[in-house]
Amino acid sequence: MKRRKTRLRAIVLLSVVFALVAAACGDDDSSTATTSGDAGVELTTVNIVARCKATPPVEDGRCNNLVSGIDAVNASLEASGDSRRVSLTIIQDNADWGDYRTEFELASDAGQAPDIIVSGHEDIGTWATSGIITDVTDLLGDYSEFDDVIESLWLSTELNGRRWGVPQDAEARPVYYRTDLLLELGWTQAETDGLAARLASGDYTWEDMFDTAAEAVEAGVVDKGNGWWHRPSNGPDFLYYYYSAGGDLLDPSGSLIYDTAAALKVYELVGEAVDRDILVSTRLDGDWTNWNTGVAVGDVLFWFGGSWQWADWAVNFIADLGGEQYLFDNVGFGPIPALAGGTNQPTSLTHPLLYMVSSDAEHVDLALLVISKATTKELNTTYAVDSGHLGILNSQADYAPYTDAAFLSEVGSILEFTTFLPNSPFFSAWSEAYYLGITAVESGDLTPAEAVDVVINQLENELGDNVIIK
Amino acid sequence: MTDKQGVTDLAKPRPGIPKQTRSSLRRRVRSNLSAYGFLLPTMVLVATFFIASGVILVVLSFTDLSSSNFTRPWNFIGFDNFSRLFSDPFFPKILRNTAFYVFTTLIFFNLGLALVLALVTTTIPRRIGFFFRLVWLLPRLTPSVIYILMWKRIGSGDPYGIFNQIAPGFLGASGGNLFLGGSPWTFVILTNGFVGASFGMIIFTSALLSIPEDLITAAKVDGAGTWRIIKDIKLPLIKWPLLFIATYQTLSLLTSFEYILLLTEGGPGLFTTEVWALTAYKRAFSSYFGNSQWAFGATWAIVLVAVALLLAVVYVKIFKFNELIEEPRIENL
Repeated sequence: MKRRKTRLRAIVLLSVVFALVAAACGDDDSSTATTSGDAGVELTTVNIVARCKATPPVEDGRCNNLVSGIDAVNASLEASGDSRRVSLTIIQDNADWGDYRTEFELASDAGQAPDIIVSGHEDIGTWATSGIITDVTDLLGDYSEFDDVIESLWLSTELNGRRWGVPQDAEARPVYYRTDLLLELGWTQAETDGLAARLASGDYTWEDMFDTAAEAVEAGVVDKGNGWWHRPSNGPDFLYYYYSAGGDLLDPSGSLIYDTAAALKVYELVGEAVDRDILVSTRLDGDWTNWNTGVAVGDVLFWFGGSWQWADWAVNFIADLGGEQYLFDNVGFGPIPALAGGTNQPTSLTHPLLYMVSSDAEHVDLALLVISKATTKELNTTYAVDSGHLGILNSQADYAPYTDAAFLSEVGSILEFTTFLPNSPFFSAWSEAYYLGITAVESGDLTPAEAVDVVINQLENELGDNVIIK
Repeated sequence: MTDKQGVTDLAKPRPGIPKQTRSSLRRRVRSNLSAYGFLLPTMVLVATFFIASGVILVVLSFTDLSSSNFTRPWNFIGFDNFSRLFSDPFFPKILRNTAFYVFTTLIFFNLGLALVLALVTTTIPRRIGFFFRLVWLLPRLTPSVIYILMWKRIGSGDPYGIFNQIAPGFLGASGGNLFLGGSPWTFVILTNGFVGASFGMIIFTSALLSIPEDLITAAKVDGAGTWRIIKDIKLPLIKWPLLFIATYQTLSLLTSFEYILLLTEGGPGLFTTEVWALTAYKRAFSSYFGNSQWAFGATWAIVLVAVALLLAVVYVKIFKFNELIEEPRIENL
């Protein structure tokens, strides 16, 4: 009898566990709800989900601007007699870019992707090809706010002549330098003040920068390895080294090009930096916290960064030293120096983030309406000023809150030298292989020439006919 | 009628099966029904998360599935992924790294240090031994990501990491990045080994404490010293736990990559600390610009599964597990 009771209990327990698991796995379809409006009209509330990656608090506007525009969205729907209303759910964190992208891809595969995702324009190459984002070309004209977007930025949203997103932000990637350390090295105030102009004219080159950095290390102004820093992990920046060295990337056939002469020049550059003790061989350690701390507090003479980092340093790293004013007092910036033997021109890179609409979105028009109401000079300017990003709208050029932001108005001039990443589904594999060469030379594992051979081998193995070795 | 017929049928002797054997079989099945019931959830889990995923992994490895084509029907490409894997210029280096990581961590920490800790803490007074074991378990009680990131911070280059800040004073070195950057393998293995040792320590401690005290006393009376007691009495008597830990930890280390991912991401430099499982993960799920190559990642993973299965069979055969888990013969005398 007792045994039977025990079995019965076990069965009941198992049933409860299975029921709970089944309930947890069930679909929660609560994206729409119906209510009765003031005039007795039946209103349907549609929930739109937006996913953003942002560094808090400076980039919070990336998703928060969508929230700020939601009243305007519903007012617009009401004015047009639409019986739908929108509620918004935002999912915003600071996940790693790779994980963030994978999350969206897997969510799309499971049919549970957010309606709106903010990501780099280069993702169009992969996501449009796989069909997980929506071609919005023919819909953009329905939203007057998008007419204000700077024309050149639309180029970054295109693949095969179609548009796949709406620009959310843009940025400049300058070389930063410590003016206080240059003065300590013996530069005059006039020389220090004039460096930005020399960078922009191409008069102060990459070699000059290395020479100055080496002098600073030798003089003990900065520690060994702190003359020049690049980012500590793979990312868009390394591509402008290749462009600077004269490298072509996108073939008209759609294949990617690996220009061995340009790549060799890049690998020689980073190898030289390590040999001259300007850069440590372990700089590519992936540690952004140490990197940001090092550059923000003044350990490093020159470093390649992004305009958005200015706001991050001011708020998250050196607020106690005076925040942005401390940066203005001690840090200068200009375009990436010209590379002799390459293009001989200063350069930079802009990597616009886009609002893209998932193919899973049931209400594409509402998703675009939500995006359009965040694409205003008021909201975008608040975001740009807070985060150190450049404006994306023509109307911001004479909008006082934007033009009054000293950093943005100065750094914006670097856009003159800008380049973009390609929107190609093969770029990820190309970039991983190209970056492999940089890590191998910096660590001393390979010579620059050996690195080129290894990268060619890797590219041919990974991309086959989709890469042209030049 | 049917039931009655059924009962009648069962009662009838069947050709080839003696009546006594058949009823004993039914009795055994019935008496083991509860055991099968308790095993069922685990069997379902194993079937769902190991066997089914293994089968999917095998099928995936023959496709070209990636982020850029996953919405279309799977495209089967034969053995292309395998030939791409074996012609990868870094395949031999990653294989060597994996063997180095697994066996160094296993020998020096998961077995070596675990055994030393168990022997020492069972020799000293009971309470002090308990305290030391508890201290050694602290890293295991800490969430692994927090534990790893804590060590990453400690081992960072000068002036950010504590070790590199104080190292010049102790070692007369020039500072810089002696630890995480300068000796990445040592740092990775130490970080993982400190946690890994605690598992073996617990198992060995319980095995050592179960050795009858009479045997130790008799050996002491016969004049055996500490080393002799360990070598000739304790170690032979804990052979089974030793072999179990060796097997379990080898297989566990083969698939472990989170320590390396978070500490060095496989670097610094050219695949310096890259292991097989990390490559599989990176190919399938992680690259800065996305476009994950799921099928190629699955190919790396399935080769690892095959190696692990092979090693498991080798361990079972070499260590004669069947003999070790036999019922004690002394009970049958």
